[in-house]
Amino acid sequence: MIEKNDAEHILIIDDEESILDGCRQALEKSGYSVITTSDGPDGIRIAREKKPELAFVDLKMPNCSGMDIIELLTKDLPGIVLIVITGYASIVSAVEAMKKGAYDYLPKPFTPDQLRAVTKRGLEHRFLKIEADRLREEKERMEKNFITFVSHEMRSPLVTIQQYIETLKVIAGDDLKKEVFEIIERCDKRIQSLQDLVEHWLDLSRIENGTFSQAKESLALVNILEKSIEELNPLCHRREIRLISDIQKDLPNIMGDQESLLRVFTNIIGNATKYTPAGGTISVDTDFDDYYIYVKITDTGSGIPQDKLPFIFEPFYRVKGKDERQRGSGLGLTFSRKIMEAHDGKIEVTSKEGEGTTFILKFPRLYEL
Amino acid sequence: MDSKKKILLIDDDKDFLMATKLILEKGGYEVFLAEDGHSGVETAKSVNPDLAIIDMMMETWSEGFNVVSQLRTSESGKEIPLIMLSAVDLQGPYQSFEPPENLPTVDMVLHKPIKADDLIKYVGQLLEK
Repeated sequence: MIEKNDAEHILIIDDEESILDGCRQALEKSGYSVITTSDGPDGIRIAREKKPELAFVDLKMPNCSGMDIIELLTKDLPGIVLIVITGYASIVSAVEAMKKGAYDYLPKPFTPDQLRAVTKRGLEHRFLKIEADRLREEKERMEKNFITFVSHEMRSPLVTIQQYIETLKVIAGDDLKKEVFEIIERCDKRIQSLQDLVEHWLDLSRIENGTFSQAKESLALVNILEKSIEELNPLCHRREIRLISDIQKDLPNIMGDQESLLRVFTNIIGNATKYTPAGGTISVDTDFDDYYIYVKITDTGSGIPQDKLPFIFEPFYRVKGKDERQRGSGLGLTFSRKIMEAHDGKIEVTSKEGEGTTFILKFPRLYEL
Repeated sequence: MDSKKKILLIDDDKDFLMATKLILEKGGYEVFLAEDGHSGVETAKSVNPDLAIIDMMMETWSEGFNVVSQLRTSESGKEIPLIMLSAVDLQGPYQSFEPPENLPTVDMVLHKPIKADDLIKYVGQLLEK
């Protein structure tokens, strides 16, 4: 906090000398440091210079409008508490002053006790306001750091467990019974999927709070598609699924972030491998018109029931009855849709049970000058 | 004469230290542990390791870099190979990682968790140089 010294400074601007004197005495008695002036412009100058915590401003002064002072000081000194001093008849103008930023008003005539009470309340208000601002800033900072913090705190134990498993295999691998080794391997797999879940969740949180960095540039989808196909080829091979592609070489460019789009494609093709039986096919092809570029990923898998289709982009939603060993994090499609939205694109799905599923990713075409 | 090479491992995660120590010992190294940057630098002075492995994120987000620059300016750490460990995927689309300016140089950055074979292989390569 910005407390210059112990005594709080109070400025009083009023054209009546007797009021200035009375206020000074009453407030100095309570330990405040008091500055007074009977001149409006002088009051503004003092306020800017000394930055008092609180100022009393008489609304009716001969050559200066108290209302203008209120307006000016509210703008200039956001931390100051302004209280207007006003005659009985001018409650209406007191209300107007409060609309302009004054905190309270003190009707004339007033007693020293009333003056002190309104001063105390004003300063308390100022303190609470400063405290609230500080807390709000703290909260914003925490929200930003939260993801960073969580990512470290969640990853650390997972990484350590994985490292222990790795160590166990190295130092005791040869002595372990086959069954025991298999259990260790399964632990390893489950930890890995928990880690994937954490990563995906972090990505989603980052997208939501705007810290997911995406470097948008002019991109050829061809390269990204080929890269993701290359990445998934070994998996498809193992599962005996044919992965074929028909990607137009003259596909126009889009504006996008290479890294996140690569993950979108890998996600969707990866998903298809989970629902496509051995001997099936996954095909990736492209198309474009004057406005859009389309990437179509089709599988010959089990398909998704019509009534389940609307939910598949929801976090943790899973179509039941599928091979339980092939569970993903449950966030892959949610992530993909958010990334597509961030690219002003769309992701659509059609499916027929027993025949297969098609995802269509639609990107706005980029016209480069 | 005992010719076991000495490796200093600095990480604020005790369990990670233990797990990695066992792998390195299995690989035939003598391993010294430090649980924070400060004691890591001190340990380096007293044991003169042949190689040091430092976690990037300890007390602070980039404590590992402080340790590296302190080692690089000390007699015991000036010349030895240094490996930086990170649990953050530096290639990923993350903003949270911003390397400090004038990044002190390490010989290698490895991503946690580390495969035992890789660790032994890389440490061996760096020590042969």
